[in-house]
Amino acid sequence: MTRPTVRLPLCLLSLAILLPTLLVGALPALAAGEGADKSGKGKGDKPAAASTYSATKTLTRVFRNADGTTLDFPPNTVTVDVDQTRNLRGRQRVNITWSGAQPSGGRASNPYGENGLQQEYPVVIMQCRGTDDPSLPLAEQLRPETCFTASVAQRSQVSRSDAEASWRNDLDAEAGDRARVSGADPFPAKSECPTADIEPFSTHLTPFVAADGTVYAACDSAHMPPEAAVGAAFPANEIAAFTDPDGNGSVRFEVRSDVENESLGCSEKVDCSIVVIPINGLSCDVPPTETPSPSSSASPSAAPTDTAGPTPTPPTDQNGSGLSESACRKGGQFTPGSSNFVNGGVDQAVSPALWWSESNWKNRFAVPVTFGLPPDTCDVLDPRPPTGFYGSELLAQASLQWSPAYCLDKKRFKFQLNQMSDDAGFKLMQAGGGAAAVVSSEHTSSGGEKIGYAPTAVTGFGIGYAIDRPDNAGEFTDLKLNARLIAKLLTQSYLGSALGRGHPGIEANPLGIMNDPEFIELNPGLSEISQEAGASLLSLSNASDIIEQLTDYLTQDKDATDFIAGKPDPWGMKVNPAYKKLKLPRDEFPLLDEFVPTTPDVCRTNNPAVYFTQLAAPVTSLRKVADSLLDGWPNVQTRCDTGLATGSYKLGRVDRQSYGARFVLGLVSLGDAERFGLRTAALETDKGKYVAPSTSSLAAGVKLTTQDKKLEPFALDQADVRTSGRAYPGTMIVYTAAKLSGLLPEDATKVAQFMRVSTTEGQQAGSGNGELPAGYLPITKSGVTAKLFASAQAVADAVEAQKDSKPAEAVEEPASTGEVTSSSAAPPPSSSAGPVDSAPAAEDAAVEAPAVVAPAPALPASAPVAMPATGAVSSGLAGRLLPTLMVIGLLGLGAATGMRFFVRPPRRRQG
Amino acid sequence: MTATMRRDDVETRAPRSVRRLLGRPPADGTAPPPRAPRAPRVPTTRDEPVTVLSTSVAMISLLCLWMVFQLVFLGGLSHGRDQDLLYRDFRTQLASAIAPVGPVVPAGDPVAVLTAPRIGLQQTVVEGTGSADTLAGPGHLRNTVLPGQSGTSVMMGRAQTYGGPFASLGSLVAGDTITTVTGQGTTAFTVLGVRRAGDPLPQPLAAGSSRLTLVTSESSGARTDLASGSVLYVDADAATAFPAPAGLPASVPDSERPLATDSGVLPLLVLHLAALLALTLGIVAARQRWAGPLVWVIATPVALAAAWSTTDVAMRLLPNLL
Repeated sequence: MTRPTVRLPLCLLSLAILLPTLLVGALPALAAGEGADKSGKGKGDKPAAASTYSATKTLTRVFRNADGTTLDFPPNTVTVDVDQTRNLRGRQRVNITWSGAQPSGGRASNPYGENGLQQEYPVVIMQCRGTDDPSLPLAEQLRPETCFTASVAQRSQVSRSDAEASWRNDLDAEAGDRARVSGADPFPAKSECPTADIEPFSTHLTPFVAADGTVYAACDSAHMPPEAAVGAAFPANEIAAFTDPDGNGSVRFEVRSDVENESLGCSEKVDCSIVVIPINGLSCDVPPTETPSPSSSASPSAAPTDTAGPTPTPPTDQNGSGLSESACRKGGQFTPGSSNFVNGGVDQAVSPALWWSESNWKNRFAVPVTFGLPPDTCDVLDPRPPTGFYGSELLAQASLQWSPAYCLDKKRFKFQLNQMSDDAGFKLMQAGGGAAAVVSSEHTSSGGEKIGYAPTAVTGFGIGYAIDRPDNAGEFTDLKLNARLIAKLLTQSYLGSALGRGHPGIEANPLGIMNDPEFIELNPGLSEISQEAGASLLSLSNASDIIEQLTDYLTQDKDATDFIAGKPDPWGMKVNPAYKKLKLPRDEFPLLDEFVPTTPDVCRTNNPAVYFTQLAAPVTSLRKVADSLLDGWPNVQTRCDTGLATGSYKLGRVDRQSYGARFVLGLVSLGDAERFGLRTAALETDKGKYVAPSTSSLAAGVKLTTQDKKLEPFALDQADVRTSGRAYPGTMIVYTAAKLSGLLPEDATKVAQFMRVSTTEGQQAGSGNGELPAGYLPITKSGVTAKLFASAQAVADAVEAQKDSKPAEAVEEPASTGEVTSSSAAPPPSSSAGPVDSAPAAEDAAVEAPAVVAPAPALPASAPVAMPATGAVSSGLAGRLLPTLMVIGLLGLGAATGMRFFVRPPRRRQG
Repeated sequence: MTATMRRDDVETRAPRSVRRLLGRPPADGTAPPPRAPRAPRVPTTRDEPVTVLSTSVAMISLLCLWMVFQLVFLGGLSHGRDQDLLYRDFRTQLASAIAPVGPVVPAGDPVAVLTAPRIGLQQTVVEGTGSADTLAGPGHLRNTVLPGQSGTSVMMGRAQTYGGPFASLGSLVAGDTITTVTGQGTTAFTVLGVRRAGDPLPQPLAAGSSRLTLVTSESSGARTDLASGSVLYVDADAATAFPAPAGLPASVPDSERPLATDSGVLPLLVLHLAALLALTLGIVAARQRWAGPLVWVIATPVALAAAWSTTDVAMRLLPNLL
């Protein structure tokens, strides 16, 4: 048949080629399983309207002289304003402003916690449990002992020499507090605090009383609450804030709930206060010795250098020594507005370390604050199973306030928003895994079923920033960005540092946006010192409608599109070749650069990594971006550490930026920006017109949206935004999307209820339960949002009716639940006819099965249950494979043989 | 060994047998006569379209027949050997009381012995129902309890290929006994009946009892026994049950559902095909140095082994109940 020299190589070669071709070609479409991530996050929250606080006090520093006279310094009349005090939530930032305070000196690079101690005349702001009301029981009162600090040095002075014991001469302190050891009663035993009571040194302890009653002696770091440990989960929030030379200052103070700080324990049940203490300098009593000091007056602002004169007797008396008295009278070493970045010593009497001393403490402004319900309220208080809505993080802050209004009302259902990418949420809703999806643009419906989009909230995204002006001039509040600058950041066209200089094609580009002439022209007056964080806009790594809209905004700008297409900007900056001609818009911004720098750095040589990707380091949720901005901690992953002991290397996130030199940019949602007090940039729309997010610019954006068909989403055309000049390009409408047929009746009712409630009761602005938080534009029956309101009601009706199309589909949907486990649990009616591969999640039947006939055990064996029919599972491949193979094989063999023998005679072998 | 020598060495030093393999007349002690120069290749008509067509058709046919051969005969061999090894393994585990009781068992490990005397079925059941797992024997669906435990246990087996352990499942009738042995003990199930698409599902399971569902494929309609494209179920109940551990996986990948295929094997398949290609090129190269018979003696077993293993991998792209 075949000659002895059969070409085995040829044979095998064809085998190699044909085998996969045959098999793969014959395979039915392999349905990719959809991993439905149903990790639900509990949301929940509470009531009441944001109220503000304002108070004024006159603060005076008084020295009592030995001759019986007193020296009064000119008084400072300080006014403190707080913009929000009700229904605060964990990590929310409130804006605190003050005026009339003593100008600060010696500004620290980081004013938070322990790092802020080396400053003069700052304003100490801290969070304390209790309110300042003497009529309350002691446990609910505000005291220094209930004020949280993240370190010992901020609350206790341990074993100080006389020259550092100025509190012992505090004019307002009681006698007990002027003793050599004071503060704690009973004073901790030597065995507990060995360093606290050492003759002749002075010690004052301010113990911390935790919410559960535990008393931490605060004599060393071992006697502090766990939240004050080194490397605790959250950085210190108490701040020694800086007052400018005019006496004004402002700070965004971050409050902590009992979720973040259990020892402090502020919650909706435990009232707390924000305590603002402008440090005005200690008031000092007469020198303690019998011998009056000849010259004991100090000048208010210059450091008095006169020490207590002849003090013949050693300082053994009750009230400290002459040394401590002169320390008390010091007035500071730094001129107003100066910096103390090297952490030099300051005069204790005007430093924030003695905030607890009576003459400082009496100057306090105690701002009572209340907290909202914690995020897990619904999980704790409502035992019903939640109904999950899946999708956009844009709705996160609203759902936090909305969900308690649902779960705490017996007539409503338990609403839960599970955040995931818009597309994943939409697919999950389509597959029946979720009652509704939360999206912000139209998505393609794969099954051809009709989906209704009910407008639920109007919000958007913003380019958040935390940028400090140089020379301690405070935060920059007026950032403007245009599309080309955003395109430069997203396409990784800034070099970051000298490491990026070697990147082929863009060697001459600026290191960061702060060095870009275009940016400088737009935002003059900022520091031009390069930071790696200036090369990146912290963004999302996953698909999102937000990225889609942001990139759509870029495509409508000619400069930005030209730049991406490869045309250098007027200053010669070029696009990163890896992103050249990138197709936009897209819902996911890719990391395309592959440049690995060569450097003599041993650590980097051993850990070669794509540098620009380390700079960009996108994250998975907008909340992480918000945290990064909140902490002034860019997510730049270029740090490379060498462990000397082990000789190992590790890459990681760079350090927090120092206060006063921050520069972080990130993509945030407007809801997060409002809650965390983040600033957002104004974006260029028309040439030279910059629009910042506000209710009016969001409303102008809504006005431009158009709806193609009823029940469908409204589209915002960025080209219109450009011509309008008033609309904010980041305006986004968040929709609740649900199927108009095939939804379970109880789910349909819930979804319709949500659509109605969220567009009526849920649109009242406020910080209470069920109200709409800041960062969202209320949808109302009249005005620009009227069309959204009308559409939402129409969709709610359609969803409730569930009769958009043939009811047959309704049956088919859940029917695709599989077959196998039909025997393990009570099976849903299955009528799926497709090949098995197309049946989704057979085992997940329980999730939605409409016919969840209670899994058997309840029924006595005597009563037969009508069981649904076994579903058909078949496979054409399985059915035809063997016969087909045999037929092809035999026929082919016959044909080949035939051709050999009949078409042409077999060739004879060559000699 | 020989293969690593250069031709010159062989000519002067190789033993007689080797030289015979090289196609030389036996040397009689003297230097062999110089080798006649190879005749120039005679131009042939080999590349004519008809020849090309004929060769390709022959190759495709061989390939198809090889696959049938592998599925039906070689697969049976390999299934038999796997069962021997699994049984030996599982027997040892039972004796040393370390047989798995769930809820999570590594895929491919033996978990039970399944016996149905009426149809002469005795198989060691492996964990997992992917195409690869059911090559060795019936597979246990990973998100169901082990047989005999409280709840429903599902097993899937092949009907035709690789030994076809579940080939005669359809001849079971109500009342027949199926016995399983697991690490927890022996359970005797009574068959409720055979179930096909459209038949009602069995009654809900009473609490504290156990159910076994065997799943395989069968031919539908008038096709031959080789065409098994639809699914057949056999349900069997036992009144008693062992306690089932908590923590079963909530679901299994699509590739472990009935009649599913496992596309995850494609990368492995590519590696196998690359190995085959390398072998082919190696043989071509060897043919230019050594005589045909020598090359074939060495290459044939290697080629067969490579082809077998490649086909085994490719089988995983086929439905798991076939």
